[in-house]
Amino acid sequence: MAVSDEALLAGVAAGDTDATAAFVRRYQRRVYGLALSVVGDPGLAEDVAQDAFVRAWRHAGSYDPRRGKASTWLLTITRNAAIDVLRMRRDLPTEPALLVDQLVAGGDQADRVADSDRVRAALAELSRDHAVAVVLSAYFGLTAREISDRMAIPLGTAKSRIRTGLHRLRRMLEVTND
Amino acid sequence: MTEPYECDEVADLLAEVATGAATGPDRDRVARHLADCERCRRELDELSWVADEVLLAAPEHEPPARFESMVLERIAAEDRSPGRRPRRARLLLAAAAAVLIAAVSAGSVWWGTASDRELAAGYRDALDVADGRYFAAAPLNDDDDVQVGHVFLYDGSPSWLFVVLDPAPEPGTYDIVVTVNGAERSAGRCVVTGTGCAAGDTLAGKIADVDSVRLLGPDGTEVRADLSRPNR
Ligand SMILES: [Zn+2]
Repeated sequence: MAVSDEALLAGVAAGDTDATAAFVRRYQRRVYGLALSVVGDPGLAEDVAQDAFVRAWRHAGSYDPRRGKASTWLLTITRNAAIDVLRMRRDLPTEPALLVDQLVAGGDQADRVADSDRVRAALAELSRDHAVAVVLSAYFGLTAREISDRMAIPLGTAKSRIRTGLHRLRRMLEVTND
Repeated sequence: MTEPYECDEVADLLAEVATGAATGPDRDRVARHLADCERCRRELDELSWVADEVLLAAPEHEPPARFESMVLERIAAEDRSPGRRPRRARLLLAAAAAVLIAAVSAGSVWWGTASDRELAAGYRDALDVADGRYFAAAPLNDDDDVQVGHVFLYDGSPSWLFVVLDPAPEPGTYDIVVTVNGAERSAGRCVVTGTGCAAGDTLAGKIADVDSVRLLGPDGTEVRADLSRPNR
């Protein structure tokens, strides 16, 4: 029987080196993939991804399964590590519209994960403007003000695009989550 | 109590807090509002769930061949660094094993006599059986928010609580107090030998209902783990 993601993380928290190795093996493609999507450079992405795993190992004891899946917990840690690197740069390395295309297309992996497909399908249903605003906020950590500057749209419009985008995604994902 | 912001005023900010993009002052503003507003708390929970799910769309990518070993080396190096005690990992493993094995074998605790190797094996078996679904862990922090231990909780028949204090801020005996749905109850004691202690007890109720676990030590020393965390 396969050990669940959450059980593996409990093993990481308990200092079990086998569990830690299994955890890294299970997630390295996703963590490195997300880091690469955000920072755009393979060398930097490797640093970010390593950093994310070290942070996850350090904080595994604070992970609470009631708050969400282990996979999304790890990916938010990865996103935060990537944004820390990004903040030191002046511009985004990846064109957001291009990233949206990539996210929706989902690459050509043989072992696609079902939950990724579900989210990709939902993103594809959003209008391009909403999808770009959500991605700029959730992947690149841009505030509504930064998005309004970057896309040359009023602040109120940027705010409502993030908000509306998330609400529409929620409705779609809630339906497919059951 | 003042209520400086209305729901309308924080509505746009909730989305930015959910994606993690909000600035510090905006986050504060939202946090102050959430303290008194259950509705917006639920809204933030749901938006946070969506914002986190969005990250699942990132395409997977094979990292360089050396990646896994590099990560494990960095973790091992940090584990050996002066700030960390190797004992901690052993104690935590023992605690996790005890909680899970106890839950699986209906209440018999034998962690004190088993070797680490047996514990490690038993621990993995127990995880397999339990599938980790009902297992929770939270850090025990002292007054300065420095982590000095761990709490493990397990939902089962019976439910279990296990605390590991290492290093204990003061030597002596600590009374374990669990707050479940706002009501306090005693859950045994943890007697420090060497640098720390470990103790377990059965728990009436579900771990989802546990608000906090506190260890009350000598001269008003207190360490606690918060499990409710209404605000992110
Ligand atoms: Zn409100």
